[in-house]
Amino acid sequence: MKSLDTFRSGLRSDDAPSSDALARGLGWFSLARGAAEVAIPRLLARGIGIEPSPVTSLVTRLMGARELAAGVAVLLNPRSPLPLWARVAGDAFDLALLGLASTRRTSGLRLAGAIAAVGGVTALDIVASIKAQRKAVHPNRPVMFSVTINKPTNEVYARFRDFARLPEVMDYLERVTVDGKRSHWVAKPFGGTRTVAWDAELTEDIPGRVIAWQVVDSLISGRVTFATAPGSEATEVRVEIEVGKGHAGIAKWFAKSQVKGDLRRFKQVLETGEVLLSDATVTRKPHPAQPSEPEVIAKNPHVTNNRSPVEVQP
Amino acid sequence: MRATCWMGKQKVSVERVPDPQILNARDAIVRVTATTICGSDLHLYNGYMPTMQKGDILGHEFMGEVVEVGKGVKNLEPGDRVVVPFCIACGNCEQCTLGNTSACENSNPTPWLPEKLMGHATCGAFGYSHLTGGFAGGQAEYVRVPYADFGPMKVPKALTDEQVLFLSDIFPTGYMGAELCDLTPKKVVAVWGAGPVGQFAIASAKLLGAERIIAIDRFPYRLKLAAEKAGATDVINYEEQPVQEVLRDLTAGRGPDACIDAVGLEAHGHGLQYAHDSTKQKLKLQMDRPLAVREAIMAVRSAGIVSILGVYAGFVDKFPLGTVMNRGITIRTGQCSVHRYMKPLLERIEQGEIDPSFVVSHQLNLDDAAHGYDMFMHKQDDVMKIVMRA
Repeated sequence: MKSLDTFRSGLRSDDAPSSDALARGLGWFSLARGAAEVAIPRLLARGIGIEPSPVTSLVTRLMGARELAAGVAVLLNPRSPLPLWARVAGDAFDLALLGLASTRRTSGLRLAGAIAAVGGVTALDIVASIKAQRKAVHPNRPVMFSVTINKPTNEVYARFRDFARLPEVMDYLERVTVDGKRSHWVAKPFGGTRTVAWDAELTEDIPGRVIAWQVVDSLISGRVTFATAPGSEATEVRVEIEVGKGHAGIAKWFAKSQVKGDLRRFKQVLETGEVLLSDATVTRKPHPAQPSEPEVIAKNPHVTNNRSPVEVQP
Repeated sequence: MRATCWMGKQKVSVERVPDPQILNARDAIVRVTATTICGSDLHLYNGYMPTMQKGDILGHEFMGEVVEVGKGVKNLEPGDRVVVPFCIACGNCEQCTLGNTSACENSNPTPWLPEKLMGHATCGAFGYSHLTGGFAGGQAEYVRVPYADFGPMKVPKALTDEQVLFLSDIFPTGYMGAELCDLTPKKVVAVWGAGPVGQFAIASAKLLGAERIIAIDRFPYRLKLAAEKAGATDVINYEEQPVQEVLRDLTAGRGPDACIDAVGLEAHGHGLQYAHDSTKQKLKLQMDRPLAVREAIMAVRSAGIVSILGVYAGFVDKFPLGTVMNRGITIRTGQCSVHRYMKPLLERIEQGEIDPSFVVSHQLNLDDAAHGYDMFMHKQDDVMKIVMRA
């Protein structure tokens, strides 16, 4: 099953422990260079063929501090692409400074050597960054979130399968109309007034087990699996959403927070018959835990007392 | 209505705020007839609990009269006199059906905050920061009670407010602390902290048949109440006596069979350890001062039980895990699942086995809440438990 593959991604064989050796090497190099820049800036200046001055010493020390920070960041998490990309940015800055330094050089040969050395390190940094970046996105995990709902599997499946009733849980949906395998979805995202509409096609439907769909003419697809929780009558619900190939980082982040909220509300409605509000969550804005004015409450569509209560069998 | 609001560190004031309304179908509005300041409110007062916002209404121990119910509430009607558990629980999720209402999976509408700090969400609670959902508290004239068809318990008219009010938190909490100790007759239990929760832990240990109950505190009036009313057989004033040595002597070297921490994150103490903990806490390098629980772990008999009732917010340093491991100590703890204890403890009150009103030391008007907090904080006037009425 696809979901199991997702869980097993931690066992992938290309995750060999040595694969971050380059990043680690660069991290230690950063520490060594940073320490030298902070400790002996004048000596270094002469070494790369420029005349030391209070300004060059200060700049060199600042760059040294940056190197130390970058080294620590890389070594703490050598598989994370961000600290490595930060090193690449630092290299670019160094090259620019060396360019500037050419106006006060004492030895053109030494300076050219320094530029070549930094250029070489930059190349290594870029290689390490791209490697880490590939690894980070490679598994291309779908957006995923799961909850356990204290209701039998068939009931949970049936409530989800009833797409037309999903707007009760997913507040950004205006309406869903179903026509065979096709369904038409209308949403008002971000609490705005603009509507967005799309069609979805059921691609898999096994009662009590799986519902999967593909949004027509897009890279977006979704899949929900239902399973009985170990040792109880409750149902494990897992949702996977694909928002496109490759990175799609921001879209995934949005999708994840949306799916989280949706599933929590779905669980609440199935278990308790309502989506609970607190004094602090009546308004979207940060709000102390005290009652809001009646007119603010009247505007909130989640105030369920104004609707007839949803049936719950305790 | 008037409500006690947190306005910043060591600042509370009674403010005019909008009346609560029914928001969910399973809500009720309760007119508060009696409320009280809890020791754990002092952690909010002193700014040790994260996610407080200026204007938050405090109070999680309260009782009152139902004045309005939502469409989904069938078991209550206006006029009913109820005690409300401090923890909010739906009654439908798996944890609630197992009786673990303080682990309710649905009652916290801001679960992402505790998830970041604690790994998983906690239940919702009245007037206890935004980590527990951002619900207005009960130190007010009125309060909205979610899941009112599950939480509030009707109480008989024959009992006074002071006899039943503490069923909302401290009596069940103290009782749970004693219950977690697996007390059988002939057992020895030591209780750190003789504040209101400690008093109920002591009284509950007595109800459960412990042979020897040792109260530890630094205020003579609290130790006196523990001995005279709650049922402590021995008391230790830790400002005058070395706790570990006295406990050894009292138990002929074994250590108490069980130790209860009824102190929590603002533990007081002496010497280097206290200086270390309070400095780290002030620098935000640790969230809690775990002096009492450390001492309880060192003191308890090998293979004994340490039961933690005191409130902790997050992370502690110098935790003697080696002692716990090498001496086979069991640690049991939890926010009290009050719902589970309310009915059985009400029965004990009705049968005259215990009268919880023994902890009440002061009666105040709600308007004097700020004075109440200050007095409770500084332990003035032999304060034990302050009951407030609007």
